[in-house]
Amino acid sequence: MIKCALKTVMKPLILLTLMVSLANTAWALNLDEAKSQGLVGELSNGYLGLIKNGNSAVKNLVDDINRKRRAAYAAKAQKAGVELKIIEIRIGERLQERAKKGEYVQRSNGQWQKK
Amino acid sequence: MKFWRSTGVILGICILLSACAPTVQVAVPNEPITINLNVKIEHEILVKVDKEIDDLFTENSDLF
Repeated sequence: MIKCALKTVMKPLILLTLMVSLANTAWALNLDEAKSQGLVGELSNGYLGLIKNGNSAVKNLVDDINRKRRAAYAAKAQKAGVELKIIEIRIGERLQERAKKGEYVQRSNGQWQKK
Repeated sequence: MKFWRSTGVILGICILLSACAPTVQVAVPNEPITINLNVKIEHEILVKVDKEIDDLFTENSDLF
């Protein structure tokens, strides 16, 4: 009886843990993958831009990352005692500078450029 | 005679020098100081902002 209960409880639990950990690694890979596959790139305003339209999963990723970035920028702007805009412009510059080879950045003329 | 001539030469030099003197005082300190101040403030802000951005990169590396 105990053995049976253990089996019914443990099996889904192990499965769930496995699924969560898999989802986590998939999530962590997503941003890097999306960048290296040329789906997303760095805008000059410090946020992630969608290069190709159509994929809702990528769009969700971009929206999620940008929402979190904005909150983080706002906190840092307050800490430095400057306007949000100043942090956004500067981090835009720095993110475009440190973009890896093969990744895309958007130039001031609106064109995507492969680094 | 010689004495008067040299005195005249010295006097002439003095007049020339004094005539030149007013051209020395040319200085407009207004604008350059304002520009300098702006540059300094901008630089200080940039250093502060960059420090916060460095922190951001280490704390929230998953966002970049």
